[in-house]
Amino acid sequence: MTPAGGDRLLLRIARHGGWWLALVGTASVAGAIAQVLLPAALGRALDSALLADETTHGTHGGTSQWLAYCCLLVAVIVVSAAAATLATGMASTTATAWLRRLLAGHVLGCGAGLLDGSGAAFSAGDVVSRFVGGTVDAASAPGSAVLALTAVISPAGSVVALGLIDPWLAVAFAAGFPALAMVVRRLVRDSASVNVSYQAALGAIAGRLLDALGGARTIAAAGTAPAERRRILASLPALNAAGTTSWQVLGRAAAQGAIIVPALQVIVLAVAGVELARHRITPGELLAASQYVVIAVGVGASIGQLTRLGRARAGASRVADLFAWPRRRYGDSQLATGATGELRFSNVTVRRGDRVVLDDLTMTVPGGAAVAVVGASGSGKSTLAALAGRMLDPDEGAVELDDCALPWLTRRALRTAVVYAFERPALFGDTVADAIRFGVVSPASEAIAAALHSSQAAGFVTRLPDGADTPLRHAPMSGGEMQRLGLARAFAHARDARLLILDDATSSLDTATEMLVGRMLTEQFDDRTRLIVAHRASTAARADLVAWLDEGTLIALAPHSELWDDQDYRALFMEAC
Amino acid sequence: MLIAALRRRPRDVAWLAFWSLVQTLPAMASGWVLAEAMTKFATGQTLGGLSWLGLQGVAALAGAFGTRQSYPRLGAVVEPLRDELAELIVAGALNRSMARATAPDTDAVARLTHQSEIVRDAFAGLLTVACTFMFTAGSTLAGLATLAPATLPYAAPPLLASVLILRLLLRPFERRQRVSVIGEETVAREAAAAVNGLRDITACGAEVPVLATLDERVRRQAAATRSVTRIAALRLLFLAAGGWLPLLLVLLAAPALLRRGVSPAHLVGAIAYIGGSLRSTLSTLTQGLGAGLVRLTVTLDRIVEASPVNDEIEQTYAQEAPRSVMIDIEGLRFGYTPDTEPVIDDLSLSIAPGEHLAIVGPSGVGKSSLAGLLAGLLTPTAGRVLLGGVPARQCPPGARVLIPQEAYVFAGTLAENLAYLGEATASEMRAAAEAVGLTALVEQLGGYQAEIDPARLSAGERQLIALTRAYLSSAPIAILDEATCYLDPVAEARAEEAFAGKPGTLIVIAHRISSALRARRVLVLDGSLAQEGEHFALLASSPMYRDLVGYWTAGPRHAGHVARPPGR
Repeated sequence: MTPAGGDRLLLRIARHGGWWLALVGTASVAGAIAQVLLPAALGRALDSALLADETTHGTHGGTSQWLAYCCLLVAVIVVSAAAATLATGMASTTATAWLRRLLAGHVLGCGAGLLDGSGAAFSAGDVVSRFVGGTVDAASAPGSAVLALTAVISPAGSVVALGLIDPWLAVAFAAGFPALAMVVRRLVRDSASVNVSYQAALGAIAGRLLDALGGARTIAAAGTAPAERRRILASLPALNAAGTTSWQVLGRAAAQGAIIVPALQVIVLAVAGVELARHRITPGELLAASQYVVIAVGVGASIGQLTRLGRARAGASRVADLFAWPRRRYGDSQLATGATGELRFSNVTVRRGDRVVLDDLTMTVPGGAAVAVVGASGSGKSTLAALAGRMLDPDEGAVELDDCALPWLTRRALRTAVVYAFERPALFGDTVADAIRFGVVSPASEAIAAALHSSQAAGFVTRLPDGADTPLRHAPMSGGEMQRLGLARAFAHARDARLLILDDATSSLDTATEMLVGRMLTEQFDDRTRLIVAHRASTAARADLVAWLDEGTLIALAPHSELWDDQDYRALFMEAC
Repeated sequence: MLIAALRRRPRDVAWLAFWSLVQTLPAMASGWVLAEAMTKFATGQTLGGLSWLGLQGVAALAGAFGTRQSYPRLGAVVEPLRDELAELIVAGALNRSMARATAPDTDAVARLTHQSEIVRDAFAGLLTVACTFMFTAGSTLAGLATLAPATLPYAAPPLLASVLILRLLLRPFERRQRVSVIGEETVAREAAAAVNGLRDITACGAEVPVLATLDERVRRQAAATRSVTRIAALRLLFLAAGGWLPLLLVLLAAPALLRRGVSPAHLVGAIAYIGGSLRSTLSTLTQGLGAGLVRLTVTLDRIVEASPVNDEIEQTYAQEAPRSVMIDIEGLRFGYTPDTEPVIDDLSLSIAPGEHLAIVGPSGVGKSSLAGLLAGLLTPTAGRVLLGGVPARQCPPGARVLIPQEAYVFAGTLAENLAYLGEATASEMRAAAEAVGLTALVEQLGGYQAEIDPARLSAGERQLIALTRAYLSSAPIAILDEATCYLDPVAEARAEEAFAGKPGTLIVIAHRISSALRARRVLVLDGSLAQEGEHFALLASSPMYRDLVGYWTAGPRHAGHVARPPGR
């Protein structure tokens, strides 16, 4: 994605920020101007008070006037600071929420193709970090931009003011300033190198911890927990040492920073003092100059705003990358009623990069048939399963269900007609029952109970504290138990479906349980077309037909008993663990 | 915990305070220097004025030195806290993962690398702000009191009022911050769940309800953040007002002060104190007690919550070692919680010394729980598991060795990994590797002294290492809990036969039927039912066993065909 996409997004965010952004701008400009005027007004007030003191020992008319100006300017500074804080926060919060909603809809609309599709796909963690962090960064961009622009006003104005008081003051400041910039640069560089060794020590501890957590059962049985703790924390002294060094480096850098502002102040004040002695400036102007130095040094803050703006632009471009990914589109057709679920693949080819995953595959699965999809790993089994329910669109060719090309179907029609169970299902909802109910329609409670029974999940679910109403997060589950809930979810929705796809959905079940599930599948869904990706010979034996894939090519679509005599076919099942 | 961290290092805290005080020297000097220098300059004593400014330069140098010295002291207070957190996190995660049969507590890694760092940074920040504020405010007021005591009544009360307001607003501010921080975590968690489950959401056609849930979280989080923003703006309004007020008051009183004999130069110095360091230190305090404080407490709570401090699993072993290797299981019942249906119910069984027993049954039927009970990792709900007359939970670890499915191999040399359960000589290692079938891998890895990286080994290779380690142990009972499931059948047979050929009892949770065929006795677990016996007897008496055997040997025409134990 080009940065331009990110910038276009930023413009939309800015438009969305609306009045709040206008308030950020107004408040920060007003505040900055007041800040620049205040030292001058203070100086005048002082001079006028001193003058009054010397001459009449009474209140000079000018004094109260300048004092009123000071009060006014302070009021502007105080109110505008609060208003700018409020407006920046509100603008970015509102824009974040808006952007997140928009992005959530988009990501859900893209579906899993966003993660594993061909071309520039994203990792799940990456998408989450863009959703969580990228949106906040991007949403804060317009506010940061305004603040970065206005942050220049008061330092620049202060330098000008120094020059107006006395040109030599500005010269003195300009001479001392480059040293400041150099110190800031060095601070960043020094802390980077210390961080590397610190992170290395921390990483070593984290790595050993992760290993040990995986072997927790061995450790518990061997009674070696204390020794393990010592081993995991062996790098702790190194971490401590690296940490201590980092504080020393920070201290050195901070000391350099701590000397630069007072040094600049001393330089400017020395020049101002000489000018005062020569009666070229007043005491009030000297006071103003001492304050202008402090404000002018604050140009560092605007550099901070600029880096923040850079981060915001990067965030926007990261978010825009996601928006650039196409959403999946659905048609407006319904399936003909009364048809049996005939599934047809016509000259289907799927590529991933240079590799051909499925090569010109043509086959017709008769309605109501149970088809086992077998083949060595990498032969294209899961791709075939993904195509059958339009989890994936082929690069060439077409997939049709009851003579209707899958892309023509509405989302609702497609997801009602095709039901999936996966090897590693992701479960959604508050309770176990919610997780089963999850889908385009919500099945009734009886259907859920029946589905739990059919998937052999009823046993362990009744053992949970509140049965099917147990919150999911209070129900720690093994891989096999998760699979059974995933199966239950599919079964609960299978009543209205005409195609049932099990993508390795029983791999973590023991053989006996798998057999029971297989029996249920045969008994209860005999009239639905079933596509079952399988590794075990028994599953293939139970199916009406076997689709045998090898390196993306369909070798045969035939009953298991006909294929069993083939040496290569039998070899497929030897390694099943 | 934070206070304890301070108490533990009183010397460092004292030095930190001292150097922070030194750090404020330029602030302390600023008003006096400006006043005196101005007086000199105004009276034409340029050199005198410059030397006062030189004094300010010296103060700046001293202050910078103080800054430099204060950081290592800060580190000396903060680093031990981080160490303590790391120990807490590691111990807690290990305990939890050991106590539970479920997935290991891998969130602990994030707690270690991320959250403990937040605490480290935020705690350091808080200490810095506290020191800076206290000493800057103190030394500025001291400077003011000596320079122009008449101005003190105008400066101190507003300052005090500001601190008071900050204190009053701290609680509501913290509460809202907390809601917002937790809300953000919820958004992140829900988003991660949705993204990781994208495939399932599409497949189920459940985009709409998921979007609605996510939307609700986002909306709630936005509301929480807005509420934080509002109170932050309010706080800023009060504090900025409080910071500027002394300056305005002194200015308004200036004519009166001058009349009362405060010299103009001293008034300028007072204004420098009040408008400069005093105001800026107040704004430092405002920022320092903002989000950082809440992040610190929330994160620290999260770490302590997740790592129970007092939940140390202190194993108390029986005084006397088991008298024999006889295993007696009497009326054993086990469930993960007292209320739920037990996974093992009323099981009684004796396993004689030297026996070879296979345990088979469908998944979730309690095979691993039984292994855990025998290994003393779990406590029976009712009944007893006795090893040589001593309850299994009280037997020392050396009484038996458990090899779980998830083999534990750690970063270190191969020899260290193999000697994990006890000392072993090089020749013993060689013999064990040969017996179990590890020799080829030893050569491939580059010998016993080679450093191994667990992540680069396959699951089967890790299992071979764990098996060899267990083979080397002198424990008289070996429990293989699907410990060979990633090995091919030939390698599995070799490893199991190695254990069978060793003196001592062997209990195998079978993964393939061939494991059951190798055992002399088989225990079939089938829900609440349990049956044990010899292979052929079970074929006749247990429908579940028939199912399992017929099933495992697969093939349509060959079902039930293989039923002869090889070579026994």
